Amino acid sequence: MSNNKYFGYAGKILTVDLGSSDYVVENTPFDLIINFMGGKGFGAKILYDGLKANCDPLSEDNIMVVATGPLTGTLMPASGHVTLSTKSPLTGVWLDSHCAGFLGPELKMAGYDAVIIKGKAKKPTVLVIKDDKISFEDGKDLWGKLIFESQELLAQKYGENCQFMCIGPAGERKARFANIVSGGRGFGRGGSGAVMGSKNLKAIVAEGTKGLNIYDFDGFMRMCKESYNELSVSPDTGGGRPKYGTNSIYSFMIEAGAHPVKNFQTGVFKEVRECNEDVLDRKYYKRHIACFSCPINCSKASRVDDGKYRGKFTEGPEYENMWSLGAQCGNSNIGSIIYGEHLCDEYGLDAISAGNVIGFTMECFEKGILSEKQIGFPANFGNDDAIIKFIEMMAKGEGIGELMSQGVRQMSKELGKGSEKFAMHVKGMELPAYDPRGAFGMGLAYATSDRGACHLRAWTLGAEVLDVQERMDPFATEFKAELVKTQQDFFAVIQSAVVCLFLNFGLTQRQITRCIQTLTGIKEWKTTEDILKIGERIYNLTRLFSMREGISRKDDTLPERLLKEPVNEGPTKGVVVDLDSMLDEYYLIRHWDKEGKPTKEKLAELGLDK
Amino acid sequence: MPVADHKKCTGCHICEIICSVHHHKTMNPKLAMVKVNSNWPWEDKVTICRQCRKPKCVEACPVDAIERVDGYLTIDQDKCTACLECVKACPFDGVVVSEITGKPILCDTCQGEYLCVSWCPAKVFTKVQGANF
Repeated sequence: MSNNKYFGYAGKILTVDLGSSDYVVENTPFDLIINFMGGKGFGAKILYDGLKANCDPLSEDNIMVVATGPLTGTLMPASGHVTLSTKSPLTGVWLDSHCAGFLGPELKMAGYDAVIIKGKAKKPTVLVIKDDKISFEDGKDLWGKLIFESQELLAQKYGENCQFMCIGPAGERKARFANIVSGGRGFGRGGSGAVMGSKNLKAIVAEGTKGLNIYDFDGFMRMCKESYNELSVSPDTGGGRPKYGTNSIYSFMIEAGAHPVKNFQTGVFKEVRECNEDVLDRKYYKRHIACFSCPINCSKASRVDDGKYRGKFTEGPEYENMWSLGAQCGNSNIGSIIYGEHLCDEYGLDAISAGNVIGFTMECFEKGILSEKQIGFPANFGNDDAIIKFIEMMAKGEGIGELMSQGVRQMSKELGKGSEKFAMHVKGMELPAYDPRGAFGMGLAYATSDRGACHLRAWTLGAEVLDVQERMDPFATEFKAELVKTQQDFFAVIQSAVVCLFLNFGLTQRQITRCIQTLTGIKEWKTTEDILKIGERIYNLTRLFSMREGISRKDDTLPERLLKEPVNEGPTKGVVVDLDSMLDEYYLIRHWDKEGKPTKEKLAELGLDK
Repeated sequence: MPVADHKKCTGCHICEIICSVHHHKTMNPKLAMVKVNSNWPWEDKVTICRQCRKPKCVEACPVDAIERVDGYLTIDQDKCTACLECVKACPFDGVVVSEITGKPILCDTCQGEYLCVSWCPAKVFTKVQGANF
């Protein structure tokens, strides 16, 4: 039994200094809880107060905040998430990254709402957190090892019941989009693995035996039961997603021309017959995998049974990576996508950025900006051998892989020759698997996402392409600002209550609010509006964080290709994104000025003016 | 008697959570009388007592710590020496060992409520009435 003060919370924050191998444990401040809830919100407040402007993200000055939220580790469906906030070495601005699986619940059961990691260890280190026992252990033997082997060795040493977060060779050598893996899941985007590598921190091990208590037991149990029922009858969370995983939307996106092909040169993927969710389900998916407390089981274990990738397996491939290592590279060989994703997890690379960079490199090769001599082999679109080689080269920093591992922004800067126009990033973060020319809302979502081009700050496809929300014209600009703003605020709540965003496809805001209320009993959170205000506060604070790093309207934009270069075939033929009008409206709704700066009145309303 | 079909298990651990909620009014999988053992990414294995009619664990226990209480096999945690002979003797690998105490625990079917059976979204568990094992 825990003796925490607040229901739903573990009640403590652990701060470690890797430089001195010291740590302190403090009560989670009630102010922090009331105003920022947990997860992303905790990260935003702690980093805004604790980091100096313009600090080098790969220096010992950077801080990592690993945080859970009130719903994490509870009976609430899909409560297995955990967040990591830091300053991104890929973008140089705000980064929050989210990992599914089992790590979040374990950290919370160990008694911590957040773990703040400061400083830099003198030698490779493993941070071990077992309830109240914290130790800094030698990680020398693990340094250089691939991630799955590292996790196996950690399990042998610290016990099968531990959960891990672990970097691979890519993070160790500070590749700018290195990720952190936990089990078969990861903190994917923005290079958090490089931050961990820069701190000489190979892994964190967590094991906890404390429980979490409920404020209104009967009320919370009723809400959980209701949530499970709602999720099971939703066509998304109770239908397509459990069966096909995140690839349940694959064919819809292709049909809408919203699935970018060959580095966003077109929206028509001719090979879709051999590469789609039905083929995956029939030939590759072997079993369903769920995260902690999740009835949706969107994850799949896949294995290749024949061909040159026979025997290769992965937990996935999920929709984003089906695109990044697939259509983005003109590749329809699912075996290579499965192997490529596995390699990204082994070395510790974000597979979205990795695939985006490979597609960019292939276009540079086909356009003569990069020669076969510079690359070492022909790298045309569709060359699956090249994709696999590129992943290894990026992870190890070999040949052109060293430049590639710095991301498309840096790569295009060095290559020049007009490549900036098709370097598909926003604020330095590579675009994921949706073409805004087929869904304008995603254009605004990418441009205004606080961590750079990301589909998990607002996801307008539900309204623009699918029928899960009230239908909107994908090529219209009206109402998109309102949709994006509302989603950003609410997603910030979900990422601070720290549950999975997919709850959004089966539960209402009201239901999620009721779950939080019955669990915590916090009186200040009376209505959905109170909860949304927290989301808005967090989104404004991450904005202030990035403004301190020089971000303004000029950065809230899209790659030139999406604004000026229409696709010449398929359902999006002739379309470019009309971003400016959506952006003006967005700033207006947010009460930000024309340069994208929050007004004094808005900051005062949110209590961020001090 | 709850019987688990491992092939269906997705590894969500909801059975463990609801078990701890029912028995301890707290959410703590480590207190559960059922355990999901990960073999990522392949099939998980669920450990749960079948409440056998002719229990091998009772025969194996050197200190007679396993008895029927109100019709359910129960391990007297005070008598138990954590020798784990019952774990070895169980033909169904059905004895959960507590990560907290190191002692074995047996499922009591929530006194017939079978909450893991009703909460499991993957329908891993079936109630087998009057099974002859």
